[in-house]
Amino acid sequence: MSIANQGFPAFRADLNNALQALVSNSSGSTAPSTTFAYQFWIDTSASPNILKQRNADNDAWITIGSLNQSTDVFNLAIAQGGTGGATASDARTNLGLAIGTDVQAYSANLTTYASTGIGFRNRIINGAMVIDQRNAGASFAQTDGAYNLDRWSGDSWSGSSTTGKYTVQQSSTAPTGFNFSLKVTSSAATSSASSDLYTIKQKIEGYNTADLGFGTANAKTITISFWVRSSATGTFGGALKNSAGNKAYAFTYSISAADTWEQKSITIAGDTSGTWVGATNGMGLAVYWQLQVGSSNATSAGSWATGDYYGATGCVNLLTSNGATFYITGVQLEVGSSATSFDYRPYGTELALCQRYCYVTGGNSYSNFYSGFFNSTTDFQGPLIFPVTMRSAPTLTSTGNFQVISNSTFSASNLALGGPETTQMTAKINVNVSGATAGYGGTMRANNDTTAKLILSSEL
Amino acid sequence: MYKFIKNSEFDVLIRIADNASIPFDPANTDYQAFKQAIADGAELQDADGNVVADAQAYVAGLP
Repeated sequence: MSIANQGFPAFRADLNNALQALVSNSSGSTAPSTTFAYQFWIDTSASPNILKQRNADNDAWITIGSLNQSTDVFNLAIAQGGTGGATASDARTNLGLAIGTDVQAYSANLTTYASTGIGFRNRIINGAMVIDQRNAGASFAQTDGAYNLDRWSGDSWSGSSTTGKYTVQQSSTAPTGFNFSLKVTSSAATSSASSDLYTIKQKIEGYNTADLGFGTANAKTITISFWVRSSATGTFGGALKNSAGNKAYAFTYSISAADTWEQKSITIAGDTSGTWVGATNGMGLAVYWQLQVGSSNATSAGSWATGDYYGATGCVNLLTSNGATFYITGVQLEVGSSATSFDYRPYGTELALCQRYCYVTGGNSYSNFYSGFFNSTTDFQGPLIFPVTMRSAPTLTSTGNFQVISNSTFSASNLALGGPETTQMTAKINVNVSGATAGYGGTMRANNDTTAKLILSSEL
Repeated sequence: MYKFIKNSEFDVLIRIADNASIPFDPANTDYQAFKQAIADGAELQDADGNVVADAQAYVAGLP
């Protein structure tokens, strides 16, 4: 860019060339023959043209971006912090953010998630049948109203309480994505009768259903989804009902192939009338899956009925066939008109949710239960602290053999809750012993017995 | 059937069928079932196995 000492015509020509180079940013198909630090050059040999700038050392060109002479658009390359695209769509593609390929467009489901929450959507506890504190996977001969897997119970009734009609067991037979199911096996060929009431059910606490607004004009629509499999095919059913037993919604679903997992979804518009328990520790609602429900206990499916119903009319009577099976898992009850993916909670969280209703402790030869003192030569008492606050003060039952270890060991029997000290958080448990010294301390434990367990139940 | 044991320190309610110890908590469903059963005429025994004659009157005084 220096002009030599020369005659005026040559000087004028050199000056014009220099000025043209400046205003055109040295545009050309080849690099300027003489270069300077920070000098611009538009490389017209490429299409689109490329804007370059000389580096400070004047030994290389730095690419800044491209000049598209057809669209008259300047593009900043990705390497220079740009997108390399002339349009928003090109920019997303160049950056690996193409909608529908790399990222998803806004979905209406997001609105649903925003209104219902992403976690803890499922009002059913132990819907994946993971927790089985009482039976630890062993088969349970269902009696009327008894609990089997955690939070799950069954009806066994036909005019009066019956036994030996079916068993319930935690099973490892499960659909993809699940590890356990609740398995029902018919124990006898039970002829159907109008008063039959054989079901699997879960009662949900009022604190966990009050927001559904049932019994008000703002009742929310809910969806119940589950995986099911049976040796029988045809129309199966169930029901949703209130604690007063005077409002029920029966539903049906079809099992089309025997011994094959199928996922079902039932959407129910919330009940805008009727009496529903609000935010209390009473029963908010109950969901039933019918195994064999007689006409006296069934109603037409698909609408809210006034009455005490446990299922739909015209459904399969599973228990008429000895050995018939029914599996269920992945049970979810959520707000909304469509089923979302199963709300899998951590095992410890699910266990804690179950322990609000049932706490089983023991299982080792010398499981320690609680420490206390001898109130007399025949009575030992102490507090058992629960891992979570239970729904109510719990009922205590026990299995196996116990002892109190102190200055000696004393066989312990007749476990009993001691008066008003038993609350939702702790139980005072008294046991009978013989020959102890009043005032001594000790620990109540299993007496070399792995079956020694304390079962504290505050189920609904 | 149920058994009611009352002594100087505490009261105990036992469901005889499974020897369950039931707390005196109105929210406990076993306790609710006990009160309903007595109202329906179920038998209540004392600590010695004697039938309590005025069971319904006794239960009426419970929480």
